[in-house]
Amino acid sequence: MKKLSVSLLAMMVAGSAYAADMGAVDEPIKLAINEWTGQHITTHVAGEMLKAAGYNVEYVTAGMMNQFQAVADGDIDATLEIWSSNVSDEYAKKVAEGTVVEIGDLGLNAKEGIAYPAHVADLCPGLPAWEALKECAQVFATAETLPGGRLVDYPADWGTPGADRMTGLELPFKAVPAGSEGALIAELRASTERKSPLLITFWQPHWAMSAYDVQFVELPAGEDACFNDPAWGPNPNAVNDCDFSPSRIFKASWSGMEDKWPAAHEILTNYQLAVEDQQPMMGAIDVDGGSVEEVVAAWMSENEGKWRPVVDAATQ
Amino acid sequence: MTAVTDTPSQQVHLTVGAKAALITVIVGALCLALEGAAPWLVKWPTAWELPATEWVGTFLDWFLNGIKPAMRLFSDLMTYPMDAANYVLGNTPWPILIGLVTALGWYLGGLPMAALGFVGLSFVLASGYWVESMNTLALVAVSVPVALTVGGAIGILANEVPKVKSFVQAVLDVMQTVPTFAYLTPLLLLFGFGPVVGLIASAIYAAPPMARNVMLGLERVEPEIKEAAIMSGGTRFQQLFQVEIPAAATQIMVGVNQCLMAALSMVIIAAVIGGFNDIGWEVLLTMRKAQFGEALMAGLVIVVFAVVIDRMSGTLATERKRYDQRVVWAVLGFTVLFTAAFWAWLPNPSELTILDPMADVIDSGLTAFTQANGPWLDALKNNSLFYVLLPLRIGLDQAVLPFTWGFQWTPGMSYGLFAVGAGIAALMAWRGRLTGGLVVLILIGMLETGISNLPWPFVLTATAALGWVAGGWRLAVLSVGLLCTILVSGLWERALLSLYLSGAAVFSCAVVGGLIGLASAVWGPVWKVVRPICDMLQTIPLFVFLIPVLMVFQIGEFSAFLAICAYAIVPMIRYTRHGLINTPEEMMEAAISSGATEWQIMRDVRGPYAAPTILLGLNQTILYAFAMLVIAALIGTTGLGQSIYLALGQADVGLGISAGAAMAILALIADRMVQGFAEERRKALGL
Repeated sequence: MKKLSVSLLAMMVAGSAYAADMGAVDEPIKLAINEWTGQHITTHVAGEMLKAAGYNVEYVTAGMMNQFQAVADGDIDATLEIWSSNVSDEYAKKVAEGTVVEIGDLGLNAKEGIAYPAHVADLCPGLPAWEALKECAQVFATAETLPGGRLVDYPADWGTPGADRMTGLELPFKAVPAGSEGALIAELRASTERKSPLLITFWQPHWAMSAYDVQFVELPAGEDACFNDPAWGPNPNAVNDCDFSPSRIFKASWSGMEDKWPAAHEILTNYQLAVEDQQPMMGAIDVDGGSVEEVVAAWMSENEGKWRPVVDAATQ
Repeated sequence: MTAVTDTPSQQVHLTVGAKAALITVIVGALCLALEGAAPWLVKWPTAWELPATEWVGTFLDWFLNGIKPAMRLFSDLMTYPMDAANYVLGNTPWPILIGLVTALGWYLGGLPMAALGFVGLSFVLASGYWVESMNTLALVAVSVPVALTVGGAIGILANEVPKVKSFVQAVLDVMQTVPTFAYLTPLLLLFGFGPVVGLIASAIYAAPPMARNVMLGLERVEPEIKEAAIMSGGTRFQQLFQVEIPAAATQIMVGVNQCLMAALSMVIIAAVIGGFNDIGWEVLLTMRKAQFGEALMAGLVIVVFAVVIDRMSGTLATERKRYDQRVVWAVLGFTVLFTAAFWAWLPNPSELTILDPMADVIDSGLTAFTQANGPWLDALKNNSLFYVLLPLRIGLDQAVLPFTWGFQWTPGMSYGLFAVGAGIAALMAWRGRLTGGLVVLILIGMLETGISNLPWPFVLTATAALGWVAGGWRLAVLSVGLLCTILVSGLWERALLSLYLSGAAVFSCAVVGGLIGLASAVWGPVWKVVRPICDMLQTIPLFVFLIPVLMVFQIGEFSAFLAICAYAIVPMIRYTRHGLINTPEEMMEAAISSGATEWQIMRDVRGPYAAPTILLGLNQTILYAFAMLVIAALIGTTGLGQSIYLALGQADVGLGISAGAAMAILALIADRMVQGFAEERRKALGL
């Protein structure tokens, strides 16, 4: 059923597209490789599609936060997995400048939320319902947060969504910014190994979700009203008394790309990747130790129906 | 300073120190008394802040865009040596490179060096990071010569033109203390994306140690040697390059060594920008997954390079004997033959995974360790936080709570504490040590209030007083002026937090590092153990250690404190030892012939002679501690470090540079005061 819907989608995409010029085939198209495995998969699948269309592809390592200057200068031609929850202000500046353009959603459904490793449910009975946290804040308390509980929030430069939730829902927790993704993972790992309590702001798709059996706390649904209207939700006096609004994951390219490689631009614009495809590949790499190239090559040959139509539509 | 003691009839003549301390005590007491009535004394009102970060941002945007074309040209030029180094290192078959390094090792230092080169590079090969390592090496190979040239030139300039010396010192401090993260965004804008940005960032960071050591070395050349050069009729140029610089070679080589280490330690920062598939990028990737074993392996590759380069460059400074050159040719010949003969069977270095099991073992070892030792490590952390770090930060009046100390702090206790302090001060004053007594009183007051809650008039007065004692009224005015810029820019609270964290770290480093340095100086075997550890701490990307520290102590201040100490303690150890063992022979002989014991020599001869070097070490420790604050922000500290990290993420040039400048200001003031005291000490000892 899923296969069918994907190929239907592919056909729809194919139907709406038209064959474009190949453009400067001799020059390599440079794709950004950021810091996380999911992005490597996303980028390598796209790169292989471009190669199948007859292009040269070069992968360039680039820090997620700092890549947009390079995209604006054309030193990088496209970056393919940008999370709306975690995008630097520089991106907005470059888009306003007209040097970077968004080229559509990736189709990856992300979820963010307040989470905990499964064993914490034993320490705080009543989870995953969020009301349980009111009673067992003491369990999560540490030296820095006494008398409140401790919530490990995103690094400060990603914003403070966890702290906003705690204020909105009037939960007796103090949010501690993690500083980096590595710090978040180290906390998850230490908590799982020591069976110690942990409440953390986290997201999926992420390999750690299954590796450390991470569960989300059930919060009231994150509707628009919750963020604008204090009266909405369990706390009549505050906004943010609900779950995270769904994040969007999208792609962006250098503004000159459409003219230089029209067909490649069309392929990348129509390129879609689903969580159901990305997550198993992440597991094959991060948990089973496969290399990105091999895992992606295997997926490409097994799932030709999912990507070939996009390539064909742009080139034929 | 117009405050002259008015009447000559006064019996007790106050020293400068006592006067300064007295003024500070009075201002502190006034602030405490008025705290309730005037809250603006403690917290600088937001309405009085100037939008300085925005102004800085606007100005920089304009300025950077102006010089961008020239910088882009420079960047383009630098890609040539960069690409060349990359091409050569990337395409040389690995047996040839290992052979070359082994032969070079033999040429420089005989069998031990040859063995070191061979084993070191074999480790790199076995780790499977050969290609990434060669990229890193290419970066260092280009950035170090740039840093050495710039640093050496700055050092010589400061030596030749004494007028610019204090300015040069300030510039060096700025280069070392404005955190690299703070200027990454402007650098990216200026030089475009790619490895050149990393190269320049690492050269900026690595040049100051070279410059400092060149200055120190040239300063210390014996006047007799200089005179001999003048008498033999050399031009100034000849004097400098044929006499003075060779005479200062040992100290300059310390600079070369520190420069290499600093450049390698910046490899990871270069990786944050990316554009380059180097070993730092590998460390970042494994860090993100909290895979300690793998991150450590990748980090060790950097350490191996550092050790090999350091030891081999170290032999250049010392008198060395000739080693048989035939061995060099034999090693090279064998390597070429080997490569040619086994060409078809040479494994691809990227596919070697010999060390992977080791990474797994280390990783599971860490798991076992945290599982087994969780309770007492938690206790250690909680006790350090409850009884040391928290009182320092927010003061006894807020840190003492029923669930930390077991009872609630009351205003009565504050009065009691102050009474005890006043008692001690009175007792000490009565015994003729008024200054000491007043300082005790001030410290007790600070402990009660907490560094982050200190009223700003008190901080300014205390700084002025310290500056006055350390370096006269000029230093006092400079310090207060600089602090005021932080105050009005709205970064004051964060600056105090940074001050507290780095202050605690510097104090611990000075005590522990000084003792380790002393032990290394008096007892050779200690140094044999300590030296590689120092090398490792200084060059391994500290991100690597953040994982185990985090897993054991969790996100928070205590972890950050440990991370800062781990890095900042190294110069203290190195300089203490270096100062203590380099006592001139004549002084030692004089001491021995006058029948001094080992301990007396240490206390009365070596110690005082080493004092300036040790203080240089303390100075470096302070600068390193500030530099580490930004890395510490990765484990969730608040303070200036976090601001810089935020600014990097949001490409906010203004905030980044302002916060970086605030950090540099704090470090600069601390540094000037240390140097002021050092100068006084030197004069007192007649050095």
